[in-house]
Amino acid sequence: MAQSTVPMFSAQTFAKLSPHPYMLANLKPSDPSRPSQRTNGRQPKQSRTLQVNTSSLTHANGSAMVRLGDTTVICAVRAESLPVTEIPNYRPASSTGPPLDEIASYDLLVPNIELATGSAPEFLPGVPPTALAQTLSTRLYSLLLSSGMVQVDDLRIWEKSEDDNDDNMEDGDGDGDQELGTVPETPGRTLRGYWALFIDVTFASYDGNPFDAAWIAVLAALHNMKLPRAWWDADMEMVVCSPEGSEFQKLHLEGFPVSCTAAVVTERDHAEHSVGKYWVLTDPDRREEKLCDESICMVVDCSRRGDTKILNLSKAGGCELDKALINEFRQTAENRWQDCRAALE
Amino acid sequence: MTISAAPDVVLDHLSKADGSASYSYAGYAVTATVNGPIEAQRRDEQPFEAIVDVIVRPAAGVGGTRERHLESILCSTLRHLILLKNFPRQLFQIALQITSVPENDYVNSKLMQASSSQNLSVLPTLFQTAILALVSAAVPMKTTASATTIAIPKDYGSPLLNPTPRQVQTSSSIHVFAFTRQGDLLLSQSDGSFSQDEWDVAHDIAKDVCMEKKREEVDVMLDDDESQTQNMADLIRAEAQMKTDSDLHWK
Repeated sequence: MAQSTVPMFSAQTFAKLSPHPYMLANLKPSDPSRPSQRTNGRQPKQSRTLQVNTSSLTHANGSAMVRLGDTTVICAVRAESLPVTEIPNYRPASSTGPPLDEIASYDLLVPNIELATGSAPEFLPGVPPTALAQTLSTRLYSLLLSSGMVQVDDLRIWEKSEDDNDDNMEDGDGDGDQELGTVPETPGRTLRGYWALFIDVTFASYDGNPFDAAWIAVLAALHNMKLPRAWWDADMEMVVCSPEGSEFQKLHLEGFPVSCTAAVVTERDHAEHSVGKYWVLTDPDRREEKLCDESICMVVDCSRRGDTKILNLSKAGGCELDKALINEFRQTAENRWQDCRAALE
Repeated sequence: MTISAAPDVVLDHLSKADGSASYSYAGYAVTATVNGPIEAQRRDEQPFEAIVDVIVRPAAGVGGTRERHLESILCSTLRHLILLKNFPRQLFQIALQITSVPENDYVNSKLMQASSSQNLSVLPTLFQTAILALVSAAVPMKTTASATTIAIPKDYGSPLLNPTPRQVQTSSSIHVFAFTRQGDLLLSQSDGSFSQDEWDVAHDIAKDVCMEKKREEVDVMLDDDESQTQNMADLIRAEAQMKTDSDLHWK
């Protein structure tokens, strides 16, 4: 009887040949003394560390570069003035009638996501935006609108009338509060335009969890951005901006939403009757995302102490996450919120 | 405030597709066709399982990014239900055409498209139609599932089942749930600002609507004759039963 030789594979080869059993071998080690961990060495609830750099781009009004492990996202926000004469179907706000959602109606926030060629092997050059990119930009846009984070008052451009030349400059902060009501037109001032914010998100490197990384980048860029003081010049019939650096204003952002994503891996590869074990992996990387069908994303805002608001919850692809587990996941999301808050400050 | 009209279902009305269904409820109407298992394109095919391709077409115009988003949600959910392992290298194609959406006189249609909560409220109808069309195409599935929408009003009123667009607009949060007939949470999409407690309440209401009632419970409810809300799981079973009965009429 010839002695059978056991073929020896390196861990990388095993991982490449059969990724699902490799992942399970790490999560459920045969040797009970070894702790269960993910293939990337993290614990199931452990996220990758977040690195945020802001203001790295010169020509954007606000920018941020976010690294979440090997996922690198660059977000640039560029503001462009939009005179009301150039808005189709412009309807001046009236004191009667329902309040108009100006940000949504006039498209004042324009997010776009680009998954750059080479950021991951599956993104090919010269193809139209992939379904993933389109889904991500819809989700970003929805969250930007539904969170109500950007205040339309920061984006309004007024005509400077003769008599309030000086007042306007000084009460920059003050008039933010009084204008929040439904009647934006105060006597003596006419609304002449808006700032439209073009929010461009580029993935320089893609290693899973794109939405969390993109959202943090948008959040950091918006927190970082400054708008010049702008007014409508009646003589030139155009919007003019002040070049003075001291007159640049930050946006007054409402709330601090942070998203947290997790994926569920089941013991049996796409089990027909899933009764096996499963693991909820927070902040999945690209390899894990490919092996997981079910995923959950929760956007929480813990700005007000002891009162966590959920702004968005999206779970699809399987039946493992039930009510109790989603309640438990909120804890993870709250911890993530603390980490992100700390990273952005 | 529930919509009293019963859901309207037509099964297998398109002859050229493997399976088809039209479903209308709460002002939304969707027509779906299912083709499959058919041959997948060589570059897309998976050696161990079938792939699912979902196409959503809006009521007017061509599909944009929001349709891609709905497609990706539906695709991942339906993948869980269809027995994909039985059909390696095959493709299931599910095309969903929205035929009507309820009007909202308060806002223009552009704003309706922009708002994410309005996007979500069409999702249960799309999902329900897809399931009916899959049943009509006799695609082997693990189980069936049904979906519903719940809105929580701004004034902390009681949650609204199948809200109208106006109610969606004036609500603080909107939740879409899908449950399998055994009562497992399959899909949950929520938008707006809400607390965990509000979500729990919405979850329980939706589970009650989507999960199959036990026989005795149904009898009690029929006796009382006050079951205002349509049970979605029963609807699918009833429609499938009616279809089989009429197909086997010749025997």
